[in-house]
Order: sequence, then C-alpha cells, then structure tokens
Amino acid sequence: MNTETVLTAMLPEHLLLLGILLLLVLEIGSRRERDLLPVTLVIVFAAAFAAARLYLGDYAGAPFPGQFSVDPAAALAKAVVLGLSIPVVLIAGGEFSGPRFSILLLSSLYGACLLFSSDSFLTLFLGIELMSLPVYALVLLAMGRPESVEGALKYLVLGGAGTATLLLGISFTFGATGSFELAAFAEAVASGDTLARAAVVLVLLAFYLKAAVVPFHGWAPDAYEAASVPVTAYMATVIKAAVLLAAVRLFAGVTVPASLVGLIAALPLVSMVWGNLTAMRQESFRRMIAYSSIAHAGYLFFAFLGAEPGRYEAVIFYLIAYGLMNLLAFVCLPTGNDATRDRLDNLKGLFHRSPYAALLIAAAMLSLAGIPPFPGFVAKFLIFRNVIDAGYTGWAVAGLIGSYLGIYFYLRVIQYMFMSAGEEAAEAPPRAMVFAASLCCLLPVVLLTVFPGWLIDRL
Amino acid sequence: MSEAVMLNWVLFLPVLGIGLLVVAPRSRHDMLRGISFAVMALQFLLTLWLYLQFDADTAGLQFETRLPWIADWGVYYHVGLDGLNLLLVLLTAFLGPLVVAGAFSAIQKDVKLFYAMVFFIQFAMLGTFIAQDLFLFYVFWETMLIPMFLIIGIWGGERRIYATLKFVLYTAFGSILMLAAVIYLVYSLKTQTGISSFAFADLYGTRLPLDAQVLLFGAFALSFAIKVPVVPLHTWLPDAHVEAPTAGSVILAGVLLKMGTYGFIKLGFPLFPDATAVYTPAVMVLAVVSIIYGACLALVQDDIKKIIAYSSISHLGYVMLGLASLDLLGIQGAIIQMVSHGLTAGGLFLMVGMIYERCHSRDLAAYGGLAKLLPVYSVFFMILTLAAVGLPTTSGFTGEFLVLMGAFNAAWPLYEAGITWPLVLACTAVLGVVLGALYMLRLAQQFLFGESRAPHQPLVDLNLREKLILAAIVAAVFALGLFPDSFMHKTELAAREYQQLVAAQPAEAWVMNQPASGKSP
Repeated sequence: MNTETVLTAMLPEHLLLLGILLLLVLEIGSRRERDLLPVTLVIVFAAAFAAARLYLGDYAGAPFPGQFSVDPAAALAKAVVLGLSIPVVLIAGGEFSGPRFSILLLSSLYGACLLFSSDSFLTLFLGIELMSLPVYALVLLAMGRPESVEGALKYLVLGGAGTATLLLGISFTFGATGSFELAAFAEAVASGDTLARAAVVLVLLAFYLKAAVVPFHGWAPDAYEAASVPVTAYMATVIKAAVLLAAVRLFAGVTVPASLVGLIAALPLVSMVWGNLTAMRQESFRRMIAYSSIAHAGYLFFAFLGAEPGRYEAVIFYLIAYGLMNLLAFVCLPTGNDATRDRLDNLKGLFHRSPYAALLIAAAMLSLAGIPPFPGFVAKFLIFRNVIDAGYTGWAVAGLIGSYLGIYFYLRVIQYMFMSAGEEAAEAPPRAMVFAASLCCLLPVVLLTVFPGWLIDRL
Repeated sequence: MSEAVMLNWVLFLPVLGIGLLVVAPRSRHDMLRGISFAVMALQFLLTLWLYLQFDADTAGLQFETRLPWIADWGVYYHVGLDGLNLLLVLLTAFLGPLVVAGAFSAIQKDVKLFYAMVFFIQFAMLGTFIAQDLFLFYVFWETMLIPMFLIIGIWGGERRIYATLKFVLYTAFGSILMLAAVIYLVYSLKTQTGISSFAFADLYGTRLPLDAQVLLFGAFALSFAIKVPVVPLHTWLPDAHVEAPTAGSVILAGVLLKMGTYGFIKLGFPLFPDATAVYTPAVMVLAVVSIIYGACLALVQDDIKKIIAYSSISHLGYVMLGLASLDLLGIQGAIIQMVSHGLTAGGLFLMVGMIYERCHSRDLAAYGGLAKLLPVYSVFFMILTLAAVGLPTTSGFTGEFLVLMGAFNAAWPLYEAGITWPLVLACTAVLGVVLGALYMLRLAQQFLFGESRAPHQPLVDLNLREKLILAAIVAAVFALGLFPDSFMHKTELAAREYQQLVAAQPAEAWVMNQPASGKSP
C-alpha cells in the first residue's frame, strides 16, 4: 500500500468522506437549520468529476490489494452513479434542506463507490450494506405520510433478508473455495460441487432481492411509494444501477453455464412480464415506476446471459439511458404536495399547463418503453444483441415480447398528458434548481440520441 | 459532393422546421402555418430537383452519404436514392405541403405541436425510405409511431384514444419481432463473414439455411404486413383512418401504408430469397384476399372515410400482388400503384376532410346531389374517384394495369406447365377491379348525384386554397397516367436488380420445389 495510490485511486471516496465530515461538523456547529444542499451538490459533483478523470485517464491501481482496486470500469461506474445523483440533489430542494438528507445520501454513495471497487466479498458486503442502510432512513424521511413507515419497514425487513442471504452465500462460497476473493465466485460457478452451486444461487438471489426481480420484488412498490419524490428517484436509478454494476463486477470472468441459464433467464423474464403487466393497473406514478423498474431489472439481468465484454457494455449503457430517463421523468413531475404529485391523474392535461415538462416526460416514457430514437432503444438493442450473440435466441425473443407488454402503460402516461383534459391553470415555471436538473438529464439524453456511437465506441 | 448534400437537406429540413416552430410564438397561428408551408414547399422543390437530377441509366445508389454512426457495431448513417425509393420520396415530399395547407382551417387546437408532429413524421418517413442501413431503417421505422400516435390521439375524433392505441400496439408488435430478426440476421452475417455490418448491400449477400430464412422472413413480413395492411392484420386501419384528423388520414393513406410494401420490396423479399420462394404463394393468396375482401367491405360501409380506408386495403393488395409476381412489369406497376394510391387516397381523404369541415358529418346517407350544391368540389371528387377506379389516362390505370399484366405474365408459363393456381389468382384479382368500380361509383353516385341534400346548408364551394391543393393532386394523377414512361424509366434498373436478388439461385442445390398445383400453401 502506498500513500499516493490511496490518495489518487480513492479520490472520489475521499471527497465523499470529506463531505460527510464537513456536513456533520456544520450540523453540530450551527444552531439554525441551514440549507446545505449547495454544499452537497458541490461534493457530489467534485466526486463525480474525480471519478470521471480516473476513467478518462485509464487509471488502474490497487490501494488495498485484494480488497480494493480501481480500474477504468470501476471508475466509470462511480462516475455514472455519482453523476446520476446530481439531479437528485438538485430536486431535493423543496423537500429536504437539512443536513440529514445530505449525510445519508453521501454515505449511501460512499457505499456504492466501495462496492464498485471491491475485490473481496468483505468489501462487497461492506459496500452493499453501507449503501442500503442510509436508504432505509431516507425512505423514512418522508414521515409526513403514514404509509412511509410501512414502506420503510418492509424495505428494511426484506433488505435484511437479502443481507442474510448474501452472507449465507458468501460463507458457502468460502466453504466451497476457501477464499473471500471475488474471483472465488467465478470459481464457484465453474465447479459442479453442490455447496458451490448453493453458494452461487444464494448470492444471485440476494442480488435479485436488492434489484427487485420477481418474485423478490414485493418491497419495491411500497418503498418507492413511501419515499418522497427525490428519494424514489434515487432508489429507482442510483441504487438499482449500483446493484447491477456490482453484479457485473461479481460476474467478471463468468460464462453462464447451462445449469444456471434457467435461473438467470427465467426469473428476469417473469420479472419483465409481471412488472409490465402490473404497471398497467397502477394509479400512482411512483408505483408505476416501481413496477417499471422491476421490469427493467429483468432486462438488465438478461444481459448476464451474454458474454463478457459485451455484458459490461450493455449493462452500463442501459443503466445510463435508463437512469437519465427515469430521472428526467421525476424531475419534470409537476409540483404540488407529495400525495397529489404522485397521482397519475395529476398529469392529465399537463401539456397545456407546462409543455416543456410534458414533452420531457413523454420522451422519458418513450425511451423507457424502448422506442427509437431515444437511447432506451439502443440500450435494449445492446442487451438483446448480446443475448442473441451468446446463442440464446429463444430467450431473446421471449424477452422482446415481454418488453412489448410494457409499451402500453408508458403510452398511457403520454395519453394523460396530451390527450386528456385536465386543469387549465398554467403551472408555475419550474424553480431554477429543477430546471437545471432537467437540463442535467436532457443534455446527455440528446447527446446519446444523436450520437449513441460516441459512448458505445468508448466502452 | 454537393448533390449528395442535397438529399441530407431534404431529410433534415423537417427538423429545421421543428426548430423554427419552437422559437415561433405560440399564439401566432398564421405565422406557424406560414413557416410550416414554406419549409414543406422548399422540401418539395429540393426533392423535385433531386428527382430530375436522378440518372435513370445508372444502377445503384445515387446521392449517397455514408458516415459512421455507431462505428463499433458497423452502423452507418447511410442514405441514398435508388429507383425503388425515388418515386416514394417524391410522393412524400409532394404530399407534405398539401397536408400542411389542408390543415390550415381544420386544426385550431395546439397548432404549434401539430405542425411540429407533421414535420416529425415527415422526417421519419423520408428517413425510412432513404435509409440504406438496417439499424438506421429500424430507428426511422419505429420513430414513425410517435408522431402518428400523437396526431391521431390529440386531434382525432371521438374514439381517438382507442384508435391510436390500437394502431401503435398493432404496429409495435410486428416491429418487436422484426427487431429480433434484425439482430439475428446481423449476428449471422458476422458469424458467416466476420464483418459486423448493417448495410443492406452486405446483408443481401447472406445466404442462411432455409429454416432460418423462413423464420426471419416471417418476422419481417409480419411487421410489414401489419403496416400494409394485409388481411387479416388490417383491423387497425379503419379505426385509425376514421378517427384520425384529415391530415393524419392523408399521411397514413398517402405514405405510411407504403412503408409496408416498401419494406417487402427493399428488405423482406431480397434478404430472404429462398424463403420468398416458399412464401410467394401465400403472399399472392393474401394479396388477392386483401383485394377482394377490402373491396367487399368497402361496398357496404356508410362512413365515407371507411369506404376509402377499405379501398386502401384493396389497392395495396395489388401492390403486393405485383411485387410477388416477380415480373418486371408487375414490380414497376407495383411502384406506380403505390404512388398512385398515395395520390388518389390522399386526395379523397382531403376532400372528405373538406366536406366534413363544412357539414360535420361523414355519413354517406346524409349527403346527396352535391354536384348541384358544390359544382367545383364535385368535379374534383369525380376525377379522383375515377382515378381510384383505374380509368385510363389516370395514374390508377397505369398501376393496376401493369400489376395485372405482371401477374398474368408470371402465371402464364406456369399454366402452360400445368400449374393453374397462379392464373386463378390473377383472374380473381381482375374481379377486384370490377368490385372497385362498384364501390367507388356507389360512393360517387350517392354523394354527388340524386336529390340534393346535405346536413348543413347553405354550403360554400371550395376556396382558392382548397382548389389549388386539389389541382396539384389531379395534375399529378394525370401526369402519372398520361406519361408513365418517364416514371417507369427511373424505376427500371432498380426493379431489375430487385428481380435478380429475389430470383437468384443459391450456390448449393437445395432449392425448394414449386408447390404442387391447385393447392394453397
């Protein structure tokens, strides 16, 4: 371990840690409640920038060999996750201004960064817990509403079950391979040993639970609905992205064996179908997004059928497109109190009240539905291309048909906004922060729409 | 080269139009309409220039642009004109300004969004026609759904939401399977030759095993057949047409339906020649069924828009028949028929829109004797009706006649060889012409002649704007009917190329036998 590597390689983490400490000091030191979001924003931005520089500089280094290492893929994952958090902080303005939100958010991001750099199951576990625990509390922050307690509790209990499953899986892996290194997972997948097989299944199930894949999705709709809009946006995009990127890291060097195909293809497929079908019936925007995210978790895990370099490329591109689009929709939701904001009915006639917001939400919905020319289409194409390249054509066709089921409920949102009469009173123009947040999502979306090759060629 | 840049200008002018609309003030409707018309007119003039510059004696693509788009996958922004898409691009650009002008008085709500959507769909349609890269084609193909969804859904009639969702869900289902086929096709090209490419020219060369071809062709054909639409996948069409605003109907009938037939001619048949040989009987049977079934349904409708909608199914059946005949005249006739149908159906929908604006009814029974009430209107309506029926000197005649010639040319040698079913099909298709005359003349008779009545009186005859729109369409109809030679000349080389691609024998000798006589597949 040398100090310089620790400083350079872990710069994003250090910045986050520094931010957490700074916010804690400010919290203790000041009497008045201060608006700390600008500080938070600067910290997140600085960390994202640091991660992006590591990625662009093709940095690779291991400050703690065997536990923590940075490679360009990890740096990119950090940059993506931190970058996606920027709009979340920007729209948190109306709801949270105290330090609690900021500290919890930064801690959770710290956990995510740890996760992407983990080389052993210990760091992985630490990262995943550090990432999840603050989110339980973040959900509870919307305590104004009674269901938020219920949602948070459900999330906590099921999250705990996920943790237990993961721990069990880790110990089985250790039992089967005698190692805590992440590479042991690939070894366990390759071996036909019963213990190793159980370990693989348990670890996979833990990830399914964290990413809300059917039938381990029960917590998601309640937790998403319980949280207030910025936190839901955070869970649907950043947390989901972090879990999936960690899974990609875990699966490094793994070629999915025939015995696992059922588990890796069937549950995600069910997830797509069930998520898309159930989303059609929702009246609450957050619940709809929850089911949509269950379906998207399905597409994302489908990508694991594909072979190695393409898998990473597909997952990260998908997460960028999906995260940006989801955030765009959340950012543009009309203002109002939390409960009315959430009703889909509230979107009726939005085009006449606020054309800008309506057009952006429409673009977000079309992209999530995977309709070109939006980046969601290229992302979907990437995933299914890899699945077909890996020889699973039948599964790919089933998955595409599953994705077809999702088109209706996304279109329904557009139908509400453009084709239904609603309140006529014009919406107040968005606050500067919210507008900035929408630009943060919109500009990369436009870039990815017009030049998807710009990103894909780099990956 | 500057000429190639022109084609890109034509494609991206609608985007420029959207940009202009965005900055224009929302409440100044006249200004919005003026901008839209000016941009569309400019687009048409540029396209006309391209058409005149197009060299009919050179095979292959002209005005070609090829730039890397997603270089990693071998996806290129590759556009160009050839004999197959040239006339369709011209048709699209020709209808653009007419659609815009036709909506001047009809669209009063959300004018800005409306013209932006018309530009958007114009962009997507032109892109689909001129794309020479499968990925690009698919992107444009699917993009088309978005503006159409909004055009029907926002400015449509009473059941617009049902109609528009039905339209999108039908077409999207076909496209999803096509997407799987596209990915698989490109993947097989890569495994066969090692190159990762989406270019049509490269993909034409892949010769997959027959069973794979059959499945892939099925996926492509489903998507295209829904768009055409071929019976029994046509049920979205009457709903979409009836509920769409006039401009939507014109775009739908004029251009969008040609996407399906264009897809068959550009991709479906040439990509999978062996599967085509297997499927040709099925395609021909479905084409003839569409001709007859569409005509029969058109015969019993009371809603004027529905009559024209079902007549579209029937007319596009001819296009399919011509394409499947693989006879040179049949193929050229199919292309002419596509353009001709775009002009006549588009014109008739515009005319129905004009009467609807005056009387707010599309019920045939409510009208009668309009020849006395609206003499100028009636003259135009009669001309377009006769063109739709296929009266000589009009474009409809050229198209239908050539298609039937092609069908007979293809059927005769088989008949002499003892296979009768193609001849039976061709004869049945002729019956469609008679039925066509029957339903169109029934429409004209009830509408224009007899006792004068209209739901709303007094009626004002066409104003100058409407007269000019219709005069332009009628002029085009006659141009195509009287001088088909120059148009056909431009398509000839491409049609021959298409014929060769489809008829090419595979290297190995495992060609399927012709199906046994008399049996439908």
